[in-house]
Amino acid sequence: MLVQRLRDRDESAMTLFYEKYSNALYGVIFRIVKKEEIAEDVLQESLVKIWHSFQSYDPSKGRLFTWVLNISRNLAIDKIRSRQYRVNSRTQPIEESAALRQAAEPSFRPEHIGLQEVTRQLNPEQKQIIDLLYFGGFTQSEVAEELNLPLGTVKTRARAAIKVLSKLIR
Amino acid sequence: MNIQEYIESGILEQYALGELDEAQRADVERQAAAYPEVRAELEQIESALGAYGEAHALTPPAGMKERVLAGFQASIRQGAEQVPQASTPEPVVRQMSAPTTEEEDAKIVPFRVSWSMAAAVALLLLSGAANLVFYNKWKAAENDLVVAQNQQASIASTVQAVNKTLSTRNQELAVLRSDQFKTVALLGTPSAPGANARVLYNPTTKAVYLDVRKLPAPPPGKQYQLWALDQGKPVDAGVLAAATAAGDSLQQMKDIASAQAFAMTVEKEGGSPTPTLSTMTVVGNI
Repeated sequence: MLVQRLRDRDESAMTLFYEKYSNALYGVIFRIVKKEEIAEDVLQESLVKIWHSFQSYDPSKGRLFTWVLNISRNLAIDKIRSRQYRVNSRTQPIEESAALRQAAEPSFRPEHIGLQEVTRQLNPEQKQIIDLLYFGGFTQSEVAEELNLPLGTVKTRARAAIKVLSKLIR
Repeated sequence: MNIQEYIESGILEQYALGELDEAQRADVERQAAAYPEVRAELEQIESALGAYGEAHALTPPAGMKERVLAGFQASIRQGAEQVPQASTPEPVVRQMSAPTTEEEDAKIVPFRVSWSMAAAVALLLLSGAANLVFYNKWKAAENDLVVAQNQQASIASTVQAVNKTLSTRNQELAVLRSDQFKTVALLGTPSAPGANARVLYNPTTKAVYLDVRKLPAPPPGKQYQLWALDQGKPVDAGVLAAATAAGDSLQQMKDIASAQAFAMTVEKEGGSPTPTLSTMTVVGNI
């Protein structure tokens, strides 16, 4: 098992880990940082962090995928919140890369949902909020500020969006 | 606590999205441990967000896997040398950090196998492989060249030998076709009745050629010697080469100023100053 091998500090397990999770992690990281090179850095940092903090992963608290996705996402958000990144990317148009229009990869999880389906099921307001929260690194308060909405509305829409997603995977 | 209210407060979403500070997080985890409904709801939210992230999966660019795994290995090796247990437990979800300073930025720059470094390594390997291939080809070419040079040398010496033989034959042919040469038939004596040879003698140029048709093989350590008889006196005309004695070719003998007859005797190797008449094999008059 991958978890056992990682716990045993088996470095070669990282290759297997990469094969299994890199598409999902890279997709999320890339959509947060929006640059291939930085996404590559963050993915590598993620592997290092996952490796060093693996003893804190508790399978009883959640799936490995959830745990590693959170690590990658947090590192990516740290990246875009750093001052240097914001200075460097000020002039960059958002979603400039052709990679963003690529089709999603086949999944390792049976409950996988496709991007098209997600886009079809979420209404535009929900999608906007979930994207700001998930890929934009915004807090709910920041989203409320950004969109000039009451915090309560943001919370409701976020919850509704997550409910839609839950139904999709069920 | 009203569990339903707690669930609907949105704090679980905030937890899953990483918005909460450490104290709030610990509180959510306590609630999740205490109430199965909270825990189930939290798991559902996490699965939903995970699925949302995964729906955005992308295939990383070509070559990234090798670079990232190499960078990962280099990084953990480096880390292992410096701080064996540097890792602090990473919470599953943690508070979103405020913008970091530039010094912190500098710290989180990862060990990264850069494009250029990877390209340089790839080029080096490629060049090494090419060197090996070219070295082997060069070695093979060198061997081929040596073989070709040897063949060429052997052909050249063959040609030289052939040319020499040809010029000899041409010379012989000139002698045979010349009108100036007198043919002297030498016939076998009673001691060698089957023996037969010819002398071609040019009285003008004094040249003497010997053409053996048939001669018994000389005893070991002995050689045939030709004599010219001038006024009854024998004059040495030279010893016969083995090829001449075997009848393979004409042999030019010593020049003879004047002769009326020619004869051949068997002498010790290198010839004798005077003929051993008892061994006379052939004789003939002009």
